[in-house]
Amino acid sequence: MSNRKSRPGVSESATAMAAVAKTMPPFEDHSQQEKHYTTCYMCACRCGIEVTVENNQVRFIRGNPNHPVNQGVLCAKGNAGIMKQNSPAKLRKPLMRKPGTERGAGEFVEVEWDDALALLTERLRHIRETDPKKLAFFTGRDQMQALTGLWAQQFGTINWAAHGGFCSVNMAAAGLYTIGQSFWEFGDPDWERTKYFMLWGVAEDHASNPIKLGIEKIKKRGAKFVAVNPVRTGYQAVADEWVPIKPGTDAMLALSMCHVLLSRDLIDWGFLGRYTNAPFLVIDHPGHSDNGLIARDADGNPLVWDQGKGAPTNGMMPGAEASLFGDYTLPDGRQTKTVMSLIAEQYLDERYAPEKAAEVCGLDADTIERLALEMAHVAFRETIEIECEWTDWAGRNHDRFIGRPVSMHAMRGISAHSNGFQTCRALHLLQVFLGTIDVPGGHRAKAPFPRHIPPPVKPAREMAPNTPLKSPPLGFPTAPEDLVVDDQGKPLRIDKAYSWEAPIANHGLMHMVITNAVNGDPYPIDTLILFMANMAWNSTMNTSQVRDMLREKDDNGDYKLPFLVVVDAFHSETVNFADLVLPDTTYLERYDTISMLDRPISEPDSACDAIRSPVLTPDRDVRAWQEVMVDLAGRLGFPAFVDDDGKPKYKGYTDFIARWEKAPGIGFLAGWRGKAGDKPMRGEPNEKQWDKYIEHQGFFQHHLPEHMRFYRHVNKDYLAWAKEVGFNASEAPIIMELYSEVLQKFRLAGQGLYDGPLPPDEIDKARLVKYFDPLPHYYQPLEEQRIDPQMYPFHAINQRPMHMYHSWDSQNAWLRQITAQNFLFMNRARGESLGIADESWVWVESHNGRVRVQVKLMEGCQADTVWTWNAIGKQSGAWGLDKDAPEARKGFLMNHLISELLPKMDGNDDDERRLTNSDPITGQAAWYDLKVKITPASADEAGTSWPQFDTLQPLPGARPSPDQLRYSTHEPVRLKRSLMDIIMRRS
Amino acid sequence: MHPAVSVILFTVSSGAGFGLILMTIALSLMGWVPGMGPGQTLVAIFTGSVLATIGLLSSTAHLANPKNAWRAFFRFRSSWLSREGIFAVLFYPVILVYMIGLWLARDSGSLPWWGLLSGLVASLLALATVFCTGMIYASLRTIPQWNSALVPANYLLLAISSGTVILTLIAALQGIELTVLSGLSLVLLVIAGLAKLLYYIWIGKPQGPTLNTAMGITRAKIKILESGQSSRSFLNKEFSNQVPAKTVKRMRWMVYLVGFVIPAVLMLVVFQTSLTVLPLLAVLLLLAGLAIERWLFFVEARHVVNVFYGQ
Amino acid sequence: MKLGLVIDLDTCVGCHACVVSCKQWNTSGTLGALTDYDPYGKEPNGVAFNRVRSYEVDEYPNNKTVNMPMSCMHCETAECVTVCPTGASFKREEDGIVLVDQDKCMGCNLCSWACPYGARELDQASGTMKKCTLCVDRIYDMELSEAERQPACVLTCPTRARHFGDFDDPDSNVSVLVRERNGLQSMPELGYNPVNHYLPPRPKPNAPIHDGGQLEPLTDRFKKWLNKVVVR
Ligand SMILES: Nc1nc2c(c(=O)[nH]1)N[C@H]1C(S)=C(S)[C@@H](COP(=O)(O)OP(=O)(O)OC[C@H]3O[C@@H](n4cnc5c(=O)[nH]c(N)nc54)[C@H](O)[C@@H]3O)O[C@H]1N2
Ligand SMILES: Nc1nc2c(c(=O)[nH]1)N[C@H]1C(S)=C(S)[C@@H](COP(=O)(O)OP(=O)(O)OC[C@H]3O[C@@H](n4cnc5c(=O)[nH]c(N)nc54)[C@H](O)[C@@H]3O)O[C@H]1N2
Ligand code: SF4
Ligand code: SF4
Ligand code: SF4
Ligand code: SF4
Ligand code: SF4
Ligand SMILES: [Mo]
Repeated sequence: MSNRKSRPGVSESATAMAAVAKTMPPFEDHSQQEKHYTTCYMCACRCGIEVTVENNQVRFIRGNPNHPVNQGVLCAKGNAGIMKQNSPAKLRKPLMRKPGTERGAGEFVEVEWDDALALLTERLRHIRETDPKKLAFFTGRDQMQALTGLWAQQFGTINWAAHGGFCSVNMAAAGLYTIGQSFWEFGDPDWERTKYFMLWGVAEDHASNPIKLGIEKIKKRGAKFVAVNPVRTGYQAVADEWVPIKPGTDAMLALSMCHVLLSRDLIDWGFLGRYTNAPFLVIDHPGHSDNGLIARDADGNPLVWDQGKGAPTNGMMPGAEASLFGDYTLPDGRQTKTVMSLIAEQYLDERYAPEKAAEVCGLDADTIERLALEMAHVAFRETIEIECEWTDWAGRNHDRFIGRPVSMHAMRGISAHSNGFQTCRALHLLQVFLGTIDVPGGHRAKAPFPRHIPPPVKPAREMAPNTPLKSPPLGFPTAPEDLVVDDQGKPLRIDKAYSWEAPIANHGLMHMVITNAVNGDPYPIDTLILFMANMAWNSTMNTSQVRDMLREKDDNGDYKLPFLVVVDAFHSETVNFADLVLPDTTYLERYDTISMLDRPISEPDSACDAIRSPVLTPDRDVRAWQEVMVDLAGRLGFPAFVDDDGKPKYKGYTDFIARWEKAPGIGFLAGWRGKAGDKPMRGEPNEKQWDKYIEHQGFFQHHLPEHMRFYRHVNKDYLAWAKEVGFNASEAPIIMELYSEVLQKFRLAGQGLYDGPLPPDEIDKARLVKYFDPLPHYYQPLEEQRIDPQMYPFHAINQRPMHMYHSWDSQNAWLRQITAQNFLFMNRARGESLGIADESWVWVESHNGRVRVQVKLMEGCQADTVWTWNAIGKQSGAWGLDKDAPEARKGFLMNHLISELLPKMDGNDDDERRLTNSDPITGQAAWYDLKVKITPASADEAGTSWPQFDTLQPLPGARPSPDQLRYSTHEPVRLKRSLMDIIMRRS
Repeated sequence: MHPAVSVILFTVSSGAGFGLILMTIALSLMGWVPGMGPGQTLVAIFTGSVLATIGLLSSTAHLANPKNAWRAFFRFRSSWLSREGIFAVLFYPVILVYMIGLWLARDSGSLPWWGLLSGLVASLLALATVFCTGMIYASLRTIPQWNSALVPANYLLLAISSGTVILTLIAALQGIELTVLSGLSLVLLVIAGLAKLLYYIWIGKPQGPTLNTAMGITRAKIKILESGQSSRSFLNKEFSNQVPAKTVKRMRWMVYLVGFVIPAVLMLVVFQTSLTVLPLLAVLLLLAGLAIERWLFFVEARHVVNVFYGQ
Repeated sequence: MKLGLVIDLDTCVGCHACVVSCKQWNTSGTLGALTDYDPYGKEPNGVAFNRVRSYEVDEYPNNKTVNMPMSCMHCETAECVTVCPTGASFKREEDGIVLVDQDKCMGCNLCSWACPYGARELDQASGTMKKCTLCVDRIYDMELSEAERQPACVLTCPTRARHFGDFDDPDSNVSVLVRERNGLQSMPELGYNPVNHYLPPRPKPNAPIHDGGQLEPLTDRFKKWLNKVVVR
């Protein structure tokens, strides 16, 4: 009778209910209804849904109880799918900017698909034949990067990336360069077993439903839930302890906890010694090119000091008795120190003492110490064991998995700062100290993770006309040689990813594309394709000026960004700037794959993928972008998409997905492979694969045998299987890199000591030296370093509302009833001390600009922090909304205040090179480094937000938005009360 | 609470109408007012019926689905609104009989027994109707400012006093001697005014549930953070009002001045001088005062739903 | 039977899933359609059976945020029913569900006045009163699997904070939860005796600290550490 397991006695009422049911009219005519199983895309969590359709309309969307991701539950967005399908903002037909009108004026004409695609093909063909990098293809909140990336690779442009660069590359990169897996959506706390859970900087995240399901589990179990966050809403509301940290200082907190653990010797030495590079010897040779590198034998194996032999030995040799601490001299006379010694020296230093950290983080020292000791208690005194035979990488058998049930999760509160990469590494260090990576109760990887550190894919650099790239545009550099720069060290990519300014920019820097392209820095481009990205609004920094850039012309009167293609499903702010608009389907109208080659939906215990299949037929002239991409690939003759005669090889998207292979037997979908559909994970293409998915409720789940569920970084059977199914290139164990030699190589380059490419520019040298510490460290976020804290006393951050997805849910009639205006929240006592009243209007000003907003005072906000819900503010007239909708007139975007470039250094001259406002290591956009000041607005300014923009015109063919909705799919069957009952009964 | 014009009009007008009828019948039965024969009584009763009818009709204006209004007569057992409706409807045939009696008696001057009886019954029904109106409000535990015996008492007293003042006007128009009526009006106005004062004092003290009892958390102060809705919903439109406290205070003075003090003074003057224009002025002011009183009755009522909105 | 909900304030994160799920089920349900006014305009609002509000208890830094969903409590002393002049409002004898007969309601609002919990909302388009039906059209639909015969809001809740069951049955999940977790009623002093109960936030779990790790002078520590060996 509830979603709990039924208890004894419940059947009694079940019988009673069955009896009453007999007296009920049939409310639903099930014979008129059909149930379809597909995958939600109201956000990127990708839950399984059951869609009941009646009269070609959606009756009800329910979570699929069998689906591994959401286990039957659905969030507010997922529940509002009907109103997305019903949105008046849906695009209806391809559009072209009306000839003779200005870009951004919003005047369009409808065109036929054939004409639109012919035009686009010609333009792209020319670019591909001449200079492929003149096409930049960037995708926002998509989840089909494997396909778009392949397309770009086949086109031959390195200028491709998805949203990861402005989203959370810090989390992915820090994880993949440290533990071989990560937070974000690539690992999960062991919800079933953990006894202590610490959540760092998460308001909602991609694992939206799984985190909620997990929190309930741990709370029911009586585990402790600690939330580190400047704001107390949402998940933090139900946390057992709230740690109101000052934004941007988490590395200090984590490393101070490491200090506490070290100073009390509460460390999982076995875990550290066996599975990490803690015992590796680091060369101590100041001023030389090998300084700080790992000492290696002739075959390149890392050396450890073998205590038994009293000599250095191959650290990857099973049985080596490795010393964890100490200074040792190599036979060639070079001095070394173990990584662990370096770690102890660095973190036992007073600067990481709780008293010091407390000042930086705005917390008290006792709390920091207590939290560390609470975790130590759980890790070491509440250890769990799972009896199960497994074999480690060296072939040694074990009869149990030891688990230290402390787990963590972290996201953009960590990643959206310019010290996020090192902060996230600090969290991983803390996890490793406690021995909690991929162990029962700890942080568990999800297939295809763990991967080798880092995964062996290098970003493409070389390009040639009409030629696919040899490797994908994005990859994992391990040394300065891997940078995508020219011989002078200048960036080759339009977003300057993998340049000296952002060497490990694994996901690109989408937030820089428009600025760089318009400035012709490093070069001008011809065409920008934006798919699923609202870059003229909420996903860009510095929105007002970026919008101006899109309209900027050169001396000839030509647009500096000559051609902008926007692929969207709705009338967004960015659509308005397009030269060509290609209208997409909605998620209920198309085929799609949620692939393990991409951002997987796997679970710790199972490898999973899924599909979408159409539930409704579109009532407009729209095409799925997937189909269009395959079509374009055929027209342009991409080698992977045409046969020997140059004719398109695939009938369309589904055909492509079923037949294309990345490597023999490996394709986008892992389920029901093999001719007979009997091979999971790897096997020949299967013509009936889509049918199989549809038959199996749209998803595939391959359960790992129990002995392959933990310690996968060193689990022999798992590693062998992972190679077999194509996750990893080798079976070698995955040794966690607490000390990052990769970072050290870049630091050496900064010092001018590296044997290889060196940065030409002084600014880059200094940054490499300062930030590329091979051990995680805390430094003040970059914008803060350049901003006067007296002048801009507040940190300004955002949170995701649980019921809204970025910009795209304001068109949703049900969701905007919950939030149609965002406020600036601030600490009540602090606000009152500044004479700011609840619900009054204020100016918020940063070094980059100002906005006028309405304030709400609250208790649960760190006193130096202000925040707002992300992406609620809209341009008047967009998204099918009334021109005076609160989203446009009262809501606001924080983005106007955030610059894509760092403020100039005080007193520096004008031609100082402007640096991106990003993490200096990964290029991750530093949204949350923002510092602001707040002053009351005058009485006549109150009431509307500022800036305001022109009202967008309705698109040709747009349907007017109704004044009232009475959605339903059938006439209601009413329950009646008899007149007798009315007269006779008192209640 | 949201002060709906139709409800204000309804309670004031039907209250005055029933009050007028009640007092007319009572006084004429007692024969206290010299010069008020059946003919004159008939005029007063007719006026009262018109007022009551205007009120009742306007009450249906606030129904969102008036086509089902007839169904309101089936829940006599539990619903004060149903009871009010039933009494009001029963009132009409009875008052008609009474009016026929008066009509027949206009020459003879003496009512037949059934006229007398119907008068008695009609006045009881009028009394009951007004009492039910009061009880509709008084029975709501959700609105502490209404949930009191003072409410039906107020409704009754205001009905009777306004009815008496109107009767004074009718008498004045018909040239009847006004001493008794104006004196009675004066006394009733003072009593009703005092009762209202008592009511205002009573609602002055904070009462009713709080967020603490709503959430079962007693240890600390609770404030609303987010209401979960971007604009005002039915709940806010129906149960809250945005009238500033200052206005409310000012309106209370208005009620006293316009609704009680001036009419009472006027009645005092009438009592001493029998000036006929003054009752008209008194009636107009009194009705305006009562409209404000009724408006305040709603505006000052704080439905517990507001607690959930932190108000 | 005495059917109703138990809502766990200890896990509710205020995500509004139950709000929207209720809306999407019921707009085509027995009391549907549930009208939305000005859906794309200045004041978007509409008929809702279930609303979630967030509160802050105490002051910074001792503050705690609590989210509180509210729908009809299917009160035992349902004054909303007694005040209704038409009899459109009724409490079912079989299961205690409080409903409004849409064909009999005259839209006088009195029942909504009588409801302390804001559970009733007038639908301007139909002119009738609407409220939570406890998903009577799901829970008795024998064509649905037993697991599905639950209110939409209960099925969807991602933190499993909502539970549906029979309070008359002392062994039912809801009765057990109320007993074990000291479930409470909202505004009990009003005497409506709401069937729905709330589970208060759990007391903080006991989190002992590791007392073994003794501080010792670093030099001693390092000496010991020097001999730390791990077999690879
Ligand atoms: N409902 C919904 N779900 C979404 C999205 C959405 O728009 N709506 N967007 C999706 C996307 S693209 C992403 S990237 C994820 C992001 O998911 P989250 O990581 O949850 O992203 P944010 O909402 O930005 O939350 C950041 C949190 O960190 C806190 N914070 C800010 N600075 C700091 C800091 O310095 N330290 C600490 N400890 N905390 C800090 C903020 O208060 C906030 O609670 O969510 C995804 N899921
Ligand atoms: N101030 C501030 N800004 C931020 C953030 C922040 O925390 N603070 N977060 C950043 C982060 S992490 C991210 S990921 C970005 C997200 O920013 P974006 O990637 O721009 O995400 P959205 O605004 O959700 O939507 C992108 C576009 O996708 C379109 N769309 C929706 N469904 C479909 C579909 O089915 N097909 C197609 N073709 N298009 C569709 C929408 O209409 C919309 O125009 O925002 C970033 N911006
Ligand atoms: S979290 Fe919500 S919106 Fe996202 S996929 Fe799942 S149900 Fe859909
Ligand atoms: S769905 Fe559950 S967690 Fe979300 S608001 Fe409703 S009760 Fe709370
Ligand atoms: S919550 Fe309100 S509507 Fe529901 S039964 Fe109780 S009084 Fe009636
Ligand atoms: S609004 Fe309808 S249900 Fe409510 S009291 Fe009036 S008639 Fe009854
Ligand atoms: S039980 Fe059904 S009608 Fe009631 S709140 Fe939940 S979903 Fe809505
Ligand atoms: Mo993101």
